[in-house]
Amino acid sequence: MSRILFFMRQPLVVAFVLIALLLYLGQTLSPGFASGGQVLRLLIVASLLGIVAAGQNVVILGGREGIDLSVGGVVSLSAIIAGNVMNGADSGIVPAILACLAAGAFFGLLNGLGVTLLRIPPLVMTLGMLGVLQGLLVVIRMGIPSGRAAPGLSGFVTQPLAAGIPGIIWLWIMIGVLMAFMLHRTVFGHRIYAIGSNEHAAYMAGVPVRLMRIALFMTSGMFAAIAGLCLLGYAGSSFANVGEQYTLASIIAVVFGGTSLAGGKGGYTGTMAGAILLVILQSILTTVNIDESGRQMVFGATLLLLMMFYGRGRAMRA
Amino acid sequence: MSKLKLSGVSKAYGATLALRRGDLEVLAGEVHVLMGSNGSGKSTLCKIIAGSVRPDAGRILIDNRPVTITGPRSARAQGIGIFYQELSLAAHRSVEENICLAALPIKSHLFVDRALLKQRAARYIRLFEEVAGEGFSADALVGNLRPDQRQLVEIMKALASEAPILIFDEPTSALDRAQVDCFFEVLRDLTWQDRGIIFISHRMDEIKAIGDRVTIIRDGETITTLNLAETDAASVIRLMVGGSGDMPASQSSAPAIVEGKDGAAITVRNLSGRGFRNVSFEVAKGEILGFGGLHGQGQSALLRAIFGAGSISSGDVLIGDSRFDASSPRDAIRRGCAYVSGDRGREGVISGRPIIENVTPIHYLRDRLMIARPSKLRDKVVPALQSMHTKFQSLFDPINSLSGGNQQKVIIARWLVDRPDVLLLDDPTKGIDLSAKADLFALIRQLAAEGLGILLYSSEDAELLGNANRILVFNGGSVSRELTGADRTRYNLYQAAYEAA
Repeated sequence: MSRILFFMRQPLVVAFVLIALLLYLGQTLSPGFASGGQVLRLLIVASLLGIVAAGQNVVILGGREGIDLSVGGVVSLSAIIAGNVMNGADSGIVPAILACLAAGAFFGLLNGLGVTLLRIPPLVMTLGMLGVLQGLLVVIRMGIPSGRAAPGLSGFVTQPLAAGIPGIIWLWIMIGVLMAFMLHRTVFGHRIYAIGSNEHAAYMAGVPVRLMRIALFMTSGMFAAIAGLCLLGYAGSSFANVGEQYTLASIIAVVFGGTSLAGGKGGYTGTMAGAILLVILQSILTTVNIDESGRQMVFGATLLLLMMFYGRGRAMRA
Repeated sequence: MSKLKLSGVSKAYGATLALRRGDLEVLAGEVHVLMGSNGSGKSTLCKIIAGSVRPDAGRILIDNRPVTITGPRSARAQGIGIFYQELSLAAHRSVEENICLAALPIKSHLFVDRALLKQRAARYIRLFEEVAGEGFSADALVGNLRPDQRQLVEIMKALASEAPILIFDEPTSALDRAQVDCFFEVLRDLTWQDRGIIFISHRMDEIKAIGDRVTIIRDGETITTLNLAETDAASVIRLMVGGSGDMPASQSSAPAIVEGKDGAAITVRNLSGRGFRNVSFEVAKGEILGFGGLHGQGQSALLRAIFGAGSISSGDVLIGDSRFDASSPRDAIRRGCAYVSGDRGREGVISGRPIIENVTPIHYLRDRLMIARPSKLRDKVVPALQSMHTKFQSLFDPINSLSGGNQQKVIIARWLVDRPDVLLLDDPTKGIDLSAKADLFALIRQLAAEGLGILLYSSEDAELLGNANRILVFNGGSVSRELTGADRTRYNLYQAAYEAA
């Protein structure tokens, strides 16, 4: 028992040591990088990524090459929907939340149906969906101006809510606790691991494999929608490809956190650390004046590097 | 003249001796039949000849010359051709391409010579022209053919190797009467060309029809080689079974049906589906019904179909008095059906997850739970594991840390938290150790005594004879014989299994 805990904790320990190191590096490169206000700002950005990664996490845990490449598109779509629904008025916040969640659930449902009923590989299905969403965003933006965030939403994301910490970080912490509870203490969570570890055995033990998989993609869509909404609050207004970077980043955060891309192994706590790590890395790259394309290259290389290490680990266990 | 001779060939996998002492001599111009029950070492012997398994000891002679077969390519080079069951065809290529696949004719060192390929393939297609049936042509795609036609292509492909020694491992399983007769004509032609043919079949009538001599293997050892003309089916089966074959299974070993709890646990009427047809039986509460016969005669397919994981085309299943047609395992579990597969790795174990999570899925489903509270679950899981004498350190250790036998006990324990009414056992002891087997059967008898109806398929005849009240022998997808009381003997079991379907 203690041995297992030790091994489970290890990637987390590594992640937090890395976070500390990166903060130190940032501070040396640009004094003030690790100041309280700056760290809070980093955490706000990390929570946006972390919320998208929560959905990505459950899809990947569910196995059978589960991955959701459409999250970036859903984030953008949700930001635009929210902006247009609330259009700067606090009274529009609740309708906006409902509209975003419905949109996220809808596209998740389509992904899930494609993967289960049509047996399209998740990689292809969600990549296709990303294309559809990107096209849709262009169509929507014609005619209708992109909306603005309501002050209440912006306040929730950027201003302290309690104990000097903004609402979105509290929201993220809450999601973290709920995810941990869901994965380890609910039947739904145990079934996610079961289908991710051995889908056929799970089916023979009465797990509704198809329904589960559809639910996972819907969860992913809804988390991406929540993140899109919050992103609007953070940025103030929305534009078509505002969520683009979240596809790759959410996958890196999940893999960084120790979740196996083969499914059935991992959890959300590691993913949270992965999201923080990634955001700090991004911030450092910005500090040393590396532009967006350079950052994307570093991110891509990071993912490949991680896969090399994880791939080797699996081969050694087998 | 001796074409192929094996003497004292042996092969061990780890601690299990698959083949202790294999001897075989195939003469030029004969059809040599190889017989032995499941796990007798017959297929290991074939694999050694075909080069896919390397022997630990022994000598192989071809045309009286000692040879070493290092792999399938080397076997081919030494003149050995083999018929594979359904495994080696390329579904998206044409019949003629498949026939010539092993040695495609080449021109200009690079391109496939289509004309020569057509001509070469036509020679073998012509042999079966009369019996191949509708839709069969040289350019038909193999994937679009019926199973019997695909098997003919396999045969043609083996023939096209023009090897002096040919191995046919159950080549007739999908063929109809006319196709078999045609194939036998072809085989006879081959023997006149002085080729040596090794023939494996489980149909006694075919063996008598085509075979010249038979070599019998039992428990990894060659028992004897006989002239088929001078022997009969009964003595062949007796040799395969061994000395104690005529003794009825000891009566004390099978549990008596519990009185006062009678009434059917499960009734199956005229059930047909993929892999089985027209099966009917009734299992009383407290009864263990055995499914016997050779591998793959419909036993597993039937059990899986009842459990909702196979296909049923017609017929009824009743649990108790109510109709039951499960569309999925989930459905079947809710209705009180339990299924344990011998294929632990694929169908049982949720690998990498804790022991407790391997026990609880059925409980979650039957109790409609949403929240998994470890302390409450522990009280349910531990007694189930203990009743199987499962050895484990902690419920939260990954299941992979257990031995195979203990893993299977965990898989069985998952059905003991909420008792089912019917237990379907699909070769449940495959690959587990003896003490785990003993624990398992003690539990199965106890469950029967508590009133469960149990269906037990086992590839080990001793398990059936020792535990089942009745045995249905399957042959070609249907029940060929029912053995009850003193009829439950090894001899009868074999005879029914090897009879013509």
